[in-house]
Amino acid sequence: MTQPLLLDVRGLDGGYEPLQIFRKIDLQLAHGGSVGLFGPNGHGKTTFLRTLSGIIDPWDGDIFFEGVQLNRPGPRGSRRWRNFNYDAVTRRRMDPKSVARAGLIHVPQGNLLFPDMTVAETLSIAPYASSGRASASETLDYVFKLFPRVQERLGSKIRFLSGGERQMVAISVGLMAAPKLLILDEPTLGLSPKLRGELAAAILTIRQSGVPLIVVDQDIAFLESLIDTLYLFDHGRISRRIEKADMPTHEEIMKLMFGEEHR
Amino acid sequence: MTFDTLTLILLGGVVLGALYALMATGLALVWTTLGIFNFAHGTFIALGAYIAWQVASPEALGGGLLVGALVSVVGMFFIGMAVYYLLIKPFERSADIVVKSVITTLAGATILENLISIAWGPRNKQLSAVLTGDLQFFGLVMSRNEAAAVIVSLVILAALGIFLQRAPLGRAMRAVAQNREAAQLMGIDVVRLYAVAFGLSAALAAIAGVLIGSIRFMNPLMGSDPLMKALIVVIFGGIARFTGPIYAAFIVGLLEAFMTYAVGLYWSPTVLFAIMIVVLVVKPEGLFGKHRKSV
Repeated sequence: MTQPLLLDVRGLDGGYEPLQIFRKIDLQLAHGGSVGLFGPNGHGKTTFLRTLSGIIDPWDGDIFFEGVQLNRPGPRGSRRWRNFNYDAVTRRRMDPKSVARAGLIHVPQGNLLFPDMTVAETLSIAPYASSGRASASETLDYVFKLFPRVQERLGSKIRFLSGGERQMVAISVGLMAAPKLLILDEPTLGLSPKLRGELAAAILTIRQSGVPLIVVDQDIAFLESLIDTLYLFDHGRISRRIEKADMPTHEEIMKLMFGEEHR
Repeated sequence: MTFDTLTLILLGGVVLGALYALMATGLALVWTTLGIFNFAHGTFIALGAYIAWQVASPEALGGGLLVGALVSVVGMFFIGMAVYYLLIKPFERSADIVVKSVITTLAGATILENLISIAWGPRNKQLSAVLTGDLQFFGLVMSRNEAAAVIVSLVILAALGIFLQRAPLGRAMRAVAQNREAAQLMGIDVVRLYAVAFGLSAALAAIAGVLIGSIRFMNPLMGSDPLMKALIVVIFGGIARFTGPIYAAFIVGLLEAFMTYAVGLYWSPTVLFAIMIVVLVVKPEGLFGKHRKSV
């Protein structure tokens, strides 16, 4: 019997009603593999990832994680029922809680976390999603080794942290959930080059420890060091799938995305 | 004003403050966690008192006040959860949940109030006091029953504070209040947490109801005046911190006691509201609030 794919997304449509943001996304990820998403801002990468983790409902298509379907099967209700606006009638098609507990952990873009809670308190509730997959204290040691800064700031409230420190806490929270697949949405967004480097090194360590990743980033070189397959995201579709062997350089990608196709 | 009058006013204010603190904290718990205002909170107070009466009173089941209070608190926890699932949860995802929840909780309050009227009748009742006699300390005289009410309120508030600070469930509750989406991504069951917060709030209301019912009288409308005062307290104190409404409750309680003495029962709410408006103008986030939270 063949082992099911870690993540299998088939023909996924979604967006914010009534606006469709992305359509017909197919994405396959084998166990132990990692993928990167690359594309211009505002083309639906984040919305796609939010759909994947169940924050917003998919419109059409299916999501399988380790062979288990995460979305409620069947077509979406009719327009009239959706407009009925009563939760008892229009059921959610996905439940972010069970997605997280299944091990698909999403570290969102610019994660603000909980401004008035301390780092220690935040980390203490982070293992909720791990459902006993890992021992919390061991993961905590691992996290402290990875981000010594997080250990130094344990007693501080999240809103007093710098952007880089907050991102470190956000990734730590993701790790505490014992991810089977970790989604990192622009983990180095808006950080100084020095912090970027530190964070990139930490993410590489996480990857080398065997955690599969879905990473969105604007830095091709950084992505290349992490992933096996690169998906180019363009106008809400996946326009190309590139294997690691023929990974293009930054210039080639720019030409690919902005030069020839959209002249 | 003689010394005796002053101590009488002060003690009365402290008792009022303790009761208001209990009610306002219940209200603020729902307000901060769910972001909605529960207009049925006053009716929860009445219902809690009546359930306790039904179990405790010799005219009904005669189980004694402690058993009655326990049944009432546990019962109200589940009734609160049921109210959440019936009246709030269905509209959870709509953009105008705040307005809708005003309508649904007002409707719930009216329905519950009438049910209480049908079940127990509109006439005043009283729970028998737990303790009788007076307590004397430092030349002050206070009825044992009122002293017990103050102590019970403070102990319960302290327990709730520790629960929110230390217990995983309480921390998760604060997390959901501060960033719902991040909490969801961490695998926290938001709907269940909301239900628990609502249930806890209703249980606090039940305790307040039992205390009011044993100090004063109870009738189906007993909750509407405390609800209004609790609203003043919550706005007065701000909800940025757990302790904000508690301090504010004692200030409002003492103010009310003094106002009742100075301007009479009839005018004291007017003066209270005038003070509240001044506070809102000068410090919109509440007396003890640090930053604003809009509903």
